[in-house]
Amino acid sequence: MHNCKETRELFTELLLDGIDFRSDHAISVELSRCTECRSEFETLRATLRMTSRVTETAAPAEDYWPAYHSKLRQRLVDAQTPTTSRAQAQRHKEKLGPLFEPLRPGAGNSLFVRLLKTTLPVPLPLAVALVLIAALVIPFAIRAARKDVPASNTTTIVRVPVEVPVVQEKPVIQEKIVTRVVYRDRQPVVRATKRRGEASRAESTFAKSQRSRTEAVPASFAGFKPSDEVKLTVIKGGVPNEK
Amino acid sequence: MTERDTDAASDIDLVRRAQAEDIDAFCLLAERYARRIYLLAAHYCRNTQDAEDLSQEVWLKAYQAVQTFRFDSSFYTWLRRITINSFLNHRRSSFFRSHGQTTAVQLLQIDSEEQEALFQSSSRSQENIYNKLLFESVVNALAELTPAQRLAFLLRHYEGMTYDEIATAMNCSIGTVKKGVWRAIGKLRARLSPESDEQETLTSLASEY
Repeated sequence: MHNCKETRELFTELLLDGIDFRSDHAISVELSRCTECRSEFETLRATLRMTSRVTETAAPAEDYWPAYHSKLRQRLVDAQTPTTSRAQAQRHKEKLGPLFEPLRPGAGNSLFVRLLKTTLPVPLPLAVALVLIAALVIPFAIRAARKDVPASNTTTIVRVPVEVPVVQEKPVIQEKIVTRVVYRDRQPVVRATKRRGEASRAESTFAKSQRSRTEAVPASFAGFKPSDEVKLTVIKGGVPNEK
Repeated sequence: MTERDTDAASDIDLVRRAQAEDIDAFCLLAERYARRIYLLAAHYCRNTQDAEDLSQEVWLKAYQAVQTFRFDSSFYTWLRRITINSFLNHRRSSFFRSHGQTTAVQLLQIDSEEQEALFQSSSRSQENIYNKLLFESVVNALAELTPAQRLAFLLRHYEGMTYDEIATAMNCSIGTVKKGVWRAIGKLRARLSPESDEQETLTSLASEY
């Protein structure tokens, strides 16, 4: 059964490959059956032939190429300079040999440095995914590691050296307060009143009692060792109506 | 030993010498394949000056990377891979100089050295002018494609690469490559088929000269 679409696809591919339809018996049969397909085939063959012809005619003339190649050579020479320096570095390295590799100035090609400089081409989505995974996993790992540590180890006793203050005893000034009440006789005011008798009578009674008390316990500081300072307080008075 | 084997052996020898920093050997390789690379660039860029720059950039990259050539494919296969990458990078990095294609007026200016160098013949014969107009039609048809589609068609038609090879080289699916090639064929067929108006115009224009 002839299928125009399939036949056209088939002969187009044959034409693109540069194969003549006559060499393919099946195509030849299909084209002989359908005039439309045959017409389409002829059109397409002419089109592609013209396209190829254009390619041939579009080629520059022969006198174009010397200038082209001289220009290219100049660009190659310009581009060769860094390549040459690399080649010289390689030759220098070979001359020194592997034994002197670590001693070579600026030993950028030593095994350790090469390992450090090693890069792996990783697709960007994969790299992003790896970074995200690392960002999610690392905090959990740290948290899990903290949980695994025994509780006893969590409380650490830190012994802080405490300086015990040395108490130096200093002599304290002992203050002794000795209170002695000293009564003295007051000079009775003699008034020429009629109450003289009463006053003399009162004086005599009070003086007598005081005199007897003073004579009984005399005021003295015997047994008292004064320190550096003696505080003496004199209290005046003693009589309610003293002025 | 066939001639092809001799060429291949010679390629290997020249590559070995180029790897030993022999510029002359590399220039011999360039002379051998420069036309193919230039034509690919010319169809891709649609401008002779861009084509020259781009093809020379390809050779420079190839020279800088020749130390990495491991002889597990032919030199031209390896070079073509560099070419495709350069084309794709060039497309990403910059606009082409002309932001379009070479026009018929430019093509018919015989005094212009640049345009004159594009064609082999120096005579103003009818065939020559027809070829120039034909070239413009092809270029216009290819200009309607995206750069990726254009490159896919060029690799399929001019380089004879399979869809699988093109998809691998361009880092895209086989379906995308097929779509690009078929679109290119459709555009070319519309412009160049004998029954199209443009084809009639071309013929009449060429006959006037």
